[in-house]
Amino acid sequence: MADTVDNRPPASGRLAGPANPGRRRLSPPAVGARPATTRDRSGHFIRRHRLGPYLLLVPSLIGIGLILLWPTVQIGILSFQNYGLGQVSGAAPTQWVGFSNFTNILTDSEFWLALRITVVFAVVVVVLTLVVGTLVGLLLHHLGRRMATFVSTAALLAWATPVVSASVVFFWLFSPDGGIVDWTLSKLPGWLGGGAHWAGFNWTTSGALPAYTVLTALVVWMSFPFIAVTVLAGLKTIPAELVDAARVDGAGPWRSFWRVTYPLMRPIFLVLLLLSIIWDFGVFTQTYFITGELGNRDEYNLSLYAYDKAFTMPPSYGLGAALALVLTIILLLITVGYVRASVRQGATS
Amino acid sequence: MRPRKSSAGPAGLGAVALCATAALAVAGCGSGSGSSGSSSSAAPAKLTVWRMGASTPAQVTWMNGVEAQFHKDYPAYAKTKVNVVWVPWTTATTEFTDALSSGKNAPDVTEIGNTETPTNASLGMLANISSEVNSWSGRSDLVPGMLANDTQNGNVYGVPWFGGVRGIFYRTDQFKAAGITSAPTTWAQLVSDAKTLQKKFPGTYGLGAPSDYTNAIVSFIWGAGGQVAVQKNGKWTAELNSPQSEAGIKFYADLYLTDKVSPAKYIGQTELGNPGATSGGTNEDFALGKLDMYIDGPWDEAALEQVSKKYLPDWAAFPIPSQNGPNPAPAFAGGSDLAVWSTSKYKTADWDLIKTMDSTSNATSFANLQGFFPPYTSQLTGGAYSGNQLLSGFAKAATVTQISPLNAKNWSTADNTDEIIPTMMKSIMQGANFTATVNKANTQLQNVLNTGQES
Repeated sequence: MADTVDNRPPASGRLAGPANPGRRRLSPPAVGARPATTRDRSGHFIRRHRLGPYLLLVPSLIGIGLILLWPTVQIGILSFQNYGLGQVSGAAPTQWVGFSNFTNILTDSEFWLALRITVVFAVVVVVLTLVVGTLVGLLLHHLGRRMATFVSTAALLAWATPVVSASVVFFWLFSPDGGIVDWTLSKLPGWLGGGAHWAGFNWTTSGALPAYTVLTALVVWMSFPFIAVTVLAGLKTIPAELVDAARVDGAGPWRSFWRVTYPLMRPIFLVLLLLSIIWDFGVFTQTYFITGELGNRDEYNLSLYAYDKAFTMPPSYGLGAALALVLTIILLLITVGYVRASVRQGATS
Repeated sequence: MRPRKSSAGPAGLGAVALCATAALAVAGCGSGSGSSGSSSSAAPAKLTVWRMGASTPAQVTWMNGVEAQFHKDYPAYAKTKVNVVWVPWTTATTEFTDALSSGKNAPDVTEIGNTETPTNASLGMLANISSEVNSWSGRSDLVPGMLANDTQNGNVYGVPWFGGVRGIFYRTDQFKAAGITSAPTTWAQLVSDAKTLQKKFPGTYGLGAPSDYTNAIVSFIWGAGGQVAVQKNGKWTAELNSPQSEAGIKFYADLYLTDKVSPAKYIGQTELGNPGATSGGTNEDFALGKLDMYIDGPWDEAALEQVSKKYLPDWAAFPIPSQNGPNPAPAFAGGSDLAVWSTSKYKTADWDLIKTMDSTSNATSFANLQGFFPPYTSQLTGGAYSGNQLLSGFAKAATVTQISPLNAKNWSTADNTDEIIPTMMKSIMQGANFTATVNKANTQLQNVLNTGQES
């Protein structure tokens, strides 16, 4: 790590002077000129080689290298070792174990269960978030100023609620001991799906389906405002004449949305879609609280599974590192899809 | 682990409840500070002791007394300050991990749940104190099984401080009203009593059976003559699918499934409610009079009192029955040990302090404060507990105990990380195929106990 720091090109080279270590540096032309100051020389060098943009990138590259790339390298190393607490304390030797961490994960039926839960949950939540967010965005677009302020304030409050607070509130709403949801359901008549059997129903620990029903409500509630506000911003950019023209031609709201609004806002929707996938794929905090910390293994998503394997006593950092790599690869695949889509879009628009 | 997770927690003593007893945090929870300063030859300026749970005024008084006695008995340490840091059970494993991996803020002496002692000793966390223990006067009176638990490859890594067992709480007024004259000693009697109570008191449930409750479930496996796993020539064989073990597992699941004396909401819960919670579930319902019988140890009586003292005078307990009686089912022998941290600079002073904390009189008075039992045979068999309505039941249970394989080196992985028994019990209660579910858990358990990995 020290090497990285010491060898970096000076970020402040233009001001500080002589220390530019570039090997291809040419001797400054000195014939017939006034003696060049170091400041002039380095400035000239930078301009000549068009290094300016790269120099500006250096600070962030160093930052990324320190907090992202280096840990990634370490995770890569750890994932092939039996690294645990005994190895940290020196009570047991660190050994290279080849791919055994990976085979342990891939042969564990609980891993595949967690993966399935993660994917299904992400699909459901992303779709719901986008639909609800878009509808609210459209609503805000059509509301009067005062009502729009009211609705957007209410929505943004949900978005601004700290994750932990929201999780605790939802946990209590759905608690089997006096939670308002169970109480309401037990009072509802049978033809509305209610009934006494709902009293004391334990949403959060009696299986993945009820637990993730609560989590879906929670995550959608917290994420749709962002979509709504972004969609609203997009809607404001659509010329009113286009919508008016469509209406004159006899298009209803449904047709007008799919034929006019959606095509114009497709770039925005694409960004929102991919961001939502990335966000909803690794939901940890809400899941941790709602499913009872790490107490219900049949309700783990990949984040809980990885956390449990890596940090529950006795910790297994090697296994956790291997899991982190697997998770990273899955998310990289999604990101590659994202980048490709945006590049293609840039080409067509 | 979990933050620790759930009831299956460290001491195996659902000791999470202790956290609920007082949020006073007199001694500054969690802010451990290592021994610092002077060299190892001189008397330390300060010894840091990690205690599990939350402090209560009675415990602070007890510890102050111990410190005064320590100064008196060992004049060399007259100026040594004993700094107690309270570590909640729920975060204990995290604190241990952090202290060991960072080498900072470590204690000198620590309390440690007895199921964790073997694992943590193998991780290099605890100092080898064999010679000190072997020459100690208190050693001969220690309950032998408890000391054996702290011994690995002939080396001793801790001394037992207190122990506790689970039993079944009931209410004398309810038993009387329902015409139950004596505590059940077989499973058939237990279920029939539960049904009688449930019928007599409409709106209540007869006997709570949370699925995330390994330390109680094992009593039913043992109570039918089964074993969770046995070790032979260094290799573990899981026996969850033996006919006896399956009878125990089935009986526990049937409390919900067919006998219907336990409600659905306890599925996925510990005895204290949702995993991670420090109150709720069966504990809260028993205190509120919504549950007639409740499986737990006497240490959680404090948590009951915090919920409601309404039925306090009627609380009593009996041991978990075995399948066919008349002797109780073996109870899981939970408890805490005292150990010296491996990197402490003052190991002599540490051991002297442990001797003071764990003397027969101090250990006994301490255990009595908390609803535990001291680790000394002379105290347990002396009849000191026969006069107490609640403790007499637990004292009876304490006569038949077992700890293996809950102290196996990889048990933490099996029960904390992989939650094999809780997951199995939850699946069965939710209607999964019994044989297939038990067989799957059995394979996983055997793999984990032998290799640390499920597959």
